[in-house]
Amino acid sequence: MAALFRPQANLLAKFGFIGIVVSILAGIGWWWGYPRTNYSRQEFWTVHQPVMFSHEHHVGGLGIDCRFCHTSVTTSSNAGMPPTYTCMTCHSQVWTNAEMLAPVRQSLARNEPIVWHRVYNLPDYTFFDHSIHITKGVGCAECHGEINRMPLTYKAVDLEMTFCIDCHQNPAPHLRPRTEIFNMEWTRTAATPSPRQLMAEYNVRAGGVLLECSTCHR
Amino acid sequence: MPSVGDTAFRAPGRQWRSLAELERDPAFLDRAAQEFPILRDALSEPHKRRHVLRLIAASLAMGGLAGCYSGEPSGVLIPEVRFPPEIVAGLPNHYATAHVLSGYALGTVVTHQMGRPIKVEGNPNHPSSLGATDPYAQAEVLGFYDPDRAMDITRAGTPASVQTLLAALVSVQGVAAATRGAGLRILTGDTSSPTLARLMGRVLAAYPEARWHVWEPVNRDRAMRGAVLAYGQPVETVARLENADVILGLDSDLLGGVPGWVRYARDFASRRNPVRTQAMSRVYAAEASPTLLGSVADHRFVTGAQELDAVVVALGHSLLQGAPATLPGVPAWLAPVVADLKAHRGRAFIHAGPALSAEGHALVHAMNEALGGRGSTYELVEPVLDQPAASRAESIAALAEDMHAGRVTTLVMIDTNPVFTAPGTLGFADALARVPLSIALSKWPDETGRLATWSVPMAHPWETWSDARGHDGTVTIMQPMALPLYGGLSATELVGRLLGAEGETPRAMVQATWRDQLGGGGGDFDAAWHQALAKGVVPGSASAKATASLRDSAATLSPPPSPPGLHILFRPDPRLWDGRFASNPWLQELPDPLTKLTWDNPLLVSPDLAGQMGLRNGDKVNLRTGAGAISLPIWVHPGQARDTVLAWLGGGRRTAGGVGTDNGWDVYPLTGADGLAVMEPTGNQVELASTIHHNVIVFPPGSELDKIIKHATLDVFQQNPAFAKEPEKPEIYHRKPADPTAWAMTVDLNRCIGCNACVIACQAENNVPTVGKEQVLMEREMHWLRIDRYYEGTPDAPDAFFQPMLCMHCEKAPCELVCPPGATVHDSEGLNLMVYNRCIGTRFCSNNCPYKVRRFNFYPYAYRMNRPAVSWNNNVTMRSGGVMEKCTYCVQRIWSARIIADQANIPDGTIEVRTACQAACPTQVFTFGDQNNPGSDVHARKQSPLDYALLEDQHTHPRTTYEALVRNPNPAISKESA
Repeated sequence: MAALFRPQANLLAKFGFIGIVVSILAGIGWWWGYPRTNYSRQEFWTVHQPVMFSHEHHVGGLGIDCRFCHTSVTTSSNAGMPPTYTCMTCHSQVWTNAEMLAPVRQSLARNEPIVWHRVYNLPDYTFFDHSIHITKGVGCAECHGEINRMPLTYKAVDLEMTFCIDCHQNPAPHLRPRTEIFNMEWTRTAATPSPRQLMAEYNVRAGGVLLECSTCHR
Repeated sequence: MPSVGDTAFRAPGRQWRSLAELERDPAFLDRAAQEFPILRDALSEPHKRRHVLRLIAASLAMGGLAGCYSGEPSGVLIPEVRFPPEIVAGLPNHYATAHVLSGYALGTVVTHQMGRPIKVEGNPNHPSSLGATDPYAQAEVLGFYDPDRAMDITRAGTPASVQTLLAALVSVQGVAAATRGAGLRILTGDTSSPTLARLMGRVLAAYPEARWHVWEPVNRDRAMRGAVLAYGQPVETVARLENADVILGLDSDLLGGVPGWVRYARDFASRRNPVRTQAMSRVYAAEASPTLLGSVADHRFVTGAQELDAVVVALGHSLLQGAPATLPGVPAWLAPVVADLKAHRGRAFIHAGPALSAEGHALVHAMNEALGGRGSTYELVEPVLDQPAASRAESIAALAEDMHAGRVTTLVMIDTNPVFTAPGTLGFADALARVPLSIALSKWPDETGRLATWSVPMAHPWETWSDARGHDGTVTIMQPMALPLYGGLSATELVGRLLGAEGETPRAMVQATWRDQLGGGGGDFDAAWHQALAKGVVPGSASAKATASLRDSAATLSPPPSPPGLHILFRPDPRLWDGRFASNPWLQELPDPLTKLTWDNPLLVSPDLAGQMGLRNGDKVNLRTGAGAISLPIWVHPGQARDTVLAWLGGGRRTAGGVGTDNGWDVYPLTGADGLAVMEPTGNQVELASTIHHNVIVFPPGSELDKIIKHATLDVFQQNPAFAKEPEKPEIYHRKPADPTAWAMTVDLNRCIGCNACVIACQAENNVPTVGKEQVLMEREMHWLRIDRYYEGTPDAPDAFFQPMLCMHCEKAPCELVCPPGATVHDSEGLNLMVYNRCIGTRFCSNNCPYKVRRFNFYPYAYRMNRPAVSWNNNVTMRSGGVMEKCTYCVQRIWSARIIADQANIPDGTIEVRTACQAACPTQVFTFGDQNNPGSDVHARKQSPLDYALLEDQHTHPRTTYEALVRNPNPAISKESA
């Protein structure tokens, strides 16, 4: 009876088995590694928007305060997206015919909202509140990065759970004087009250209740 | 839990929940020993085992996958073009309105998120509410968003446009103007709206031949006729139960049913906890079938129809004519009750339910006057409803007669469903077929709309302007909560069209009613109008006190004797009222306070009669009255009189949308006759979805904890106030959470009347799904908060007890120890947290919970509910399939209160949080707060000598504790004589 397998079958089998092992390992590596890439987290990605709005120009260049557009950031969980009307307070006077602003003018004329694409999106089971972070002295830049240098807005942090936990575990280094909350370029100086002083002043509960699951998941 | 032997259950005479438990039915014992009986059944059948294992594996996998969503940036942000005033994304708005049931308003405040109503609370300014609600008001959120609501105008069953409808209305108006309204009939439900009354007055003035009929299936005809007999004019009784030392209820619906009962429950409860009241009230109830008042009374006397007649007559004789109360044929308990009433002159109150005869009601008025209660324990006020003197039954009968005789050419039916609810004797559907033009305006597609020429969707009260009066006459102007979801006309618009008042908006019509009365008729109208809208009440609008004095003839009236036989009592369904809430799954699945039935409305039969006829729960019977005959199942109801069967109106809707159609049995065909019935077994059986045997708390054999509900009489309490306390037992290990804040709750059993407002409030606040009848039969209902009802004594006349059950937030929580992924964990403030994303669905926690308060999503129930996404509470996570859930102490409310306090720099210890159940409760059963804060209510209540922990010997150290029940029986009445 002739041999069932030819000699090169051994080689094929070896490569085959090695291939299976390698692909399993690669799969595990992918499963572990991919979610940790900036690509999958869409960190530092600029997101396409209907209007190419530049925070660099408005914040960095013109020095418009965050609260001019994001009006409810100090009072509500939601920072608030500016209505078309807010854009038009200026753009009915300046750049009134700019091609770039056509969607804004259209929105007002047709009474149809501008549909912005999300840059930051927390899952529905995570409850974040802007106002309390600002009350407790956390600057915008802690999560949103140097937005005054972003021509187009991108996600500046990975927003993984560890990002939140790290700060909730040790909030002190992330606190700043209340006057500097909206200052994107602020850095600690010798005159700044110490983190410990700020913790006491803002009555921040370190550890304990800040780290409870229900702080963010309800 | 140790295995359950025969000895594990409380012996007869102790506390029990169902007759099967009392009788130690082996099937029941077997089932109760299982955490998941359905699973055990499936596993015990060999050929299904593989299937079950497959399901378990699948649920594990699904539970695991549920945590894999990474939340990457996607989706859109859509700001407004202009910000709507007052609305800030993420912050709630609150607007006052009212919930109107059978004409009477209950003031409410609706919470909005970004313009969407998501939760109803009571309005503290409204005298009928004082901040509390009933279950119907709580469930209105779901009614508003109901996708089964009427949305299409149809003419003879085919869709029609608004223009053709308006043209038809114009021609109706033209014909009416030409014929002085001959043949025009308008039928409404009970209404107290001053605006509608004003417009109807104009209609009747413009068309003198037209008639306004009123039909309300759950009416108070006899009470009103009794008032006319007693005072010569209709008057409304407004009880002042906080002043009543002795209350006697005669088949009374004083707690649950009577207009204003939410307020009455508060006043009633203020005199029930001996720790917090100077003098505890004493409550007697004589009734044929248990009511909520009877269930919480100190003495409940099972009194059949004929005996009740004798009781009323004897009461009249002894209270009005000074005769002794010991007549032959009168029960022995009456004499001591009469003595007690007489001893509390000016502090006593007798209340009669709607089933008592008009003469009986007149006698009760005379007795209350004789007891000197007027002005103290109750007030008489001018009537609240429109057309108070008209008997609803006579009104609909006259209409049906005219319709049969062909005298009605145009019938306009507003917010009423007479084809379903009219007495069976009238043949209303046939009569309607003889009316050439009929217009039905209704919020839901219903039986009447199907048969009417025109079926017109009605605007929900949250979509239009209207007004309504509370139980004492206080007016609420109801503002719209949202733009109409499905279009629709309001009642005022339709009536306005009949007058030819085109283009007048509902707002203008309501304003026209109030223009002269608000702001003193001067230029302050706008300010006064806005003030009334913001407060939810029109100041000083309560009905004037009635000045009528009692006619002498009232005292000599004698109720017509009830004929011998089997009596049938009709009461509104505790969940669906007269059937109008059939489309609301929250209410359909709400366990009835006493029978714990969901989705069904069987006939309630006494244990004695059922035993004699060999009937068990679910056996079908043929039931015949003078009006008609139907076949429906029975439910054996402990504490019911032997000669009485009780039928709940409202089940068996034939046209009520996907949720409401064909649940239960329609008993309206039996109504309208003399109140006698004939019952025959059929031998058929159906399965009824009662939660009575679900989540049974089982004790290990030999346990001393044979009484879950700890209760005593006032005498015992006075001798030993701490009778409920157990001696502290040594423990090896108990670590208390160390945080300065310690959330805790107390539940006062003295106050609970079992009304279910908290159950729906919890469901609304926490996005708790409904599951449907099939799943309830599998013990899979999801209520985080349930009210257990226990009985003690014999099935013929047991004492009933209510006990709200929710997560106890044990300091040593058994659930946490057994959770493999750590999905249920303790926090530093004592909350037992549920982390849904960690849960993989082992259900070990539920198995290990001695209180049986954990609920498992066997399917993604929440996603299966047919309701729009915007109707859910966006502060609470939606749970998917394969995830365990349970009461969180409304943790979202804790955090929002804390954030608000932090922003205002208010110190931590003083933040005030009200849980959803606590806010809704009419009787303030629940107290929630920080027990470490000496100024908090919960701290104070925890110091009560009555405070005890449930299943203390389990050493779970629950944060939720109970205040033991104290009842105040009359020492002159022994148990035996009752």
